[in-house]
Amino acid sequence: MGDDAVTAQAIIQSLASGLLMGLLYGLIAVGLALIFGLMDVVNFAHGEFLMIAMYVSFFLFTFFAIDPLLSAPLVAAALFVFGAVIYLLVVRFAMRAKANAGMVQIFSTFGLAIVMRGLAQFFFTPDYRSIPQSWLGGKTISIGGIFLPEPQLIGALVSIAAFAGLYFFIHRTDFGRALEATREDPGAVALVGIDKNRVFALGWGLGAALVGLAGAIMAVFFYIYPDVGASFALIAYVTVALGGFGSVFGAFAGGIIVGLVEAVTALVLPPSLKSVGIYAVYLLVVFIRPRGLFGSM
Amino acid sequence: MTALLETRGVWQRFGGLVANSDVSISVGRGEIVGLIGPNGAGKSTLFNLIAGVLPPTQGSILFDGDDVTHMPAAERCQRGIGRTFQVVKSFETMTVIDNVIVGALVRNTVMREARRKAHEVLEFTGLAARADVLASDLVPAEKRRLEVARALATEPKLLLLDEVLTGLTPTEAQTGVALVRKVRDAGVTVLMVEHVMEIVMPLVDRAIVLDLGKVLVEGKPNDVVRDPKVIKAYLGDRHAVGA
Amino acid sequence: MDKTFAARRRRDLIIAAVLAALAALAPLFVKDVYVQNILILTLMYAALSQSWNILSGYCGQISLGHALYFGIGAYTTELLFTKFGVLPWFGMLGGGVIAALIAMGLGYPFFRLRGHYFVIATIVIAEIGLLLFQNWEWAGAAMGITVPIRGDSWLKFQFMRTKLPYFYFALALCCLAWFVTWWLEDSKWGFWWRAVKDNPEAAESLGVVVFNSKMGAAAVSAFLVAIGGAFYAQFLAYIDPESVMGFQFSLLMALPAVLGGIGTLWGPVLGAAILIPMTELTRSYIGGSGRGVDLIVYGALIVAISLALPQGLVSLFSRTKAKNQIKGATR
Repeated sequence: MGDDAVTAQAIIQSLASGLLMGLLYGLIAVGLALIFGLMDVVNFAHGEFLMIAMYVSFFLFTFFAIDPLLSAPLVAAALFVFGAVIYLLVVRFAMRAKANAGMVQIFSTFGLAIVMRGLAQFFFTPDYRSIPQSWLGGKTISIGGIFLPEPQLIGALVSIAAFAGLYFFIHRTDFGRALEATREDPGAVALVGIDKNRVFALGWGLGAALVGLAGAIMAVFFYIYPDVGASFALIAYVTVALGGFGSVFGAFAGGIIVGLVEAVTALVLPPSLKSVGIYAVYLLVVFIRPRGLFGSM
Repeated sequence: MTALLETRGVWQRFGGLVANSDVSISVGRGEIVGLIGPNGAGKSTLFNLIAGVLPPTQGSILFDGDDVTHMPAAERCQRGIGRTFQVVKSFETMTVIDNVIVGALVRNTVMREARRKAHEVLEFTGLAARADVLASDLVPAEKRRLEVARALATEPKLLLLDEVLTGLTPTEAQTGVALVRKVRDAGVTVLMVEHVMEIVMPLVDRAIVLDLGKVLVEGKPNDVVRDPKVIKAYLGDRHAVGA
Repeated sequence: MDKTFAARRRRDLIIAAVLAALAALAPLFVKDVYVQNILILTLMYAALSQSWNILSGYCGQISLGHALYFGIGAYTTELLFTKFGVLPWFGMLGGGVIAALIAMGLGYPFFRLRGHYFVIATIVIAEIGLLLFQNWEWAGAAMGITVPIRGDSWLKFQFMRTKLPYFYFALALCCLAWFVTWWLEDSKWGFWWRAVKDNPEAAESLGVVVFNSKMGAAAVSAFLVAIGGAFYAQFLAYIDPESVMGFQFSLLMALPAVLGGIGTLWGPVLGAAILIPMTELTRSYIGGSGRGVDLIVYGALIVAISLALPQGLVSLFSRTKAKNQIKGATR
């Protein structure tokens, strides 16, 4: 009896942490989904966007003592500019490739990822860094015997707020509608005088800003180093593909599924195998629905 | 003698939409048959059912005496059904000759023979001069011709042509018409889908008019064009008027 | 017309033979072990990339999970050798066969996937393989396997005193992969693959069984890559999951083909000849600082080539040739 109670408690505990982490995964991945939906491009440097956001947050803390929670909007803004610039400098040209278009997009963004990692090593060294003391770092709250780490809890709330904001933005603002129209028919959009390149640049900015928000929160409780993006990039791709490429809501749902599956796998299998659960679920889902859960068939 | 192709009570539903309802047609050996009708009549659906893109919801399709209802497209091609696509699907990164070789490999396992067959077909279809050009560099009319050449290289008994004459200039259309005749004279049965009647009527031996997923009328082209039901069906379709 | 085609095929074969002969003479002039090492790796990656190119270049199914087959080749060889005393040559063949069977087994579900869903599935399956090997105690888990030293012999394919036998094996493997590609290029399979890559629906309508085409390409590709993995394991005399199944191998197989010209006969060799020495040299001369300059140079080059030459470096050659000879456009 007592053991059962403990087990049940442990299961609820890990599901709760899994859910929080899942919401954060959703926030990490949604920028990828947004960009893909807009222009059919998978950004293979997405993990590096996250890495840069974490460093920006770290330096704002180290040099200006701004708490990551406060600096999150600044990080998002910085990443917005960064994303738009990357589009204008590189991706714009990758879109023009007449031959092997898919290949060019994969490898140009991939090369970009390597450059960004190299630059991070060059300027910040390969050392692991962390933000030693922040408002949320290391704190937990207990709700009915379930312990929830505060950074993840706030992260989850930020994620929900960001998705709500994104929903509002896409459906209620002029730019959101332009974004939606461009993804449906870029050719027709040009006819009504919307500059496709501007919309794409802003789309990249927005996608990067969202992963920037995620990075700011991750910086509170995760080590910061040049390769940190790689560990989250594959999870982000799986999250987006699970939800269905291009579906913003799919990224939200995909994130939650990935977080929960990861938590459950960690209960059953040794911790070193916790990602196997995520990968297996991805394969299972696409074998049944080759375009993900919410992707258009 | 039995018909080369026969559909028996074919139905195709997409969700609540009925694209073909109880369609029974037959195509005799050596005929040129036109499958016509206004937009949304179900021509393309029927065409795809015969080509094997998807199986019908109900009914059966017989080819050369065999039931091919559930046979995949590749196997139908091996049996002798060749087809073209309304929206051309050339192998863009391959040369014209290589495009045709893919088709020729169905009946020729030795590369040298397949290559010779492909050259022969290019000669036949008037593309010989363009053999070594990339398919992506062809002009639209040539791409249509390549579609026909590729299908002919599979040495079909039945050639399915999907709007090969639509959208061509009058001169191009005339060469197209001549090619279809030449194909039939070489012993290949032709079933062609066309939207615009004027183009096909002089060419076909028999016309089948589809409307709202059903066979409306079938018969000699001259009788079909005068049929009040056909005129009414086409008048209801604004796009075809004046075309 | 057929004559120019046959002449071009013959010319490719002659160029390959001359290049192979020149490469075989290289050890006469190159005595430096470090440089020999680079040559061996270059030949190996050329062979791997050539094999990768069969599935991903010719048949158009972009795999970023070929590290799985590489690792399977390496592990099959070393597990058979250390646990059962089976000679590496049999392990090599066995690894190739197992990899081909796994590739075909995976093909059933995988080949229904399109585009990015397929690419991600290949990455994911290789990650699963990596994680499983890292946790498989019998196979040495994350610690890996050290190949016992039994003295230099061709029988055990093991050489400590000289690297030359490895060099010649790598050269032979590279020639084999090239020749298989050359031979398949003008065969029913080669045509089927290119047709499937360009337009599967049209291919199907011309009697091409699309699924079988992909399966064939996957099997050949996986088999050859696993042979490469077996070679690499013998060459290092030590394997662990990360060093034979890590994602970087999937990448290093794809990159030479992409940079040299994907889906072309000469692309992988050309790409490897430039990329691998560059990787090794930047790593040892600028990478030693640990400051990532090698990564910056390397990444920038990938971006630059993929943007400037979407059809790879071979397109530089064919463009000039196209002026003299209409036929050159495809190569």
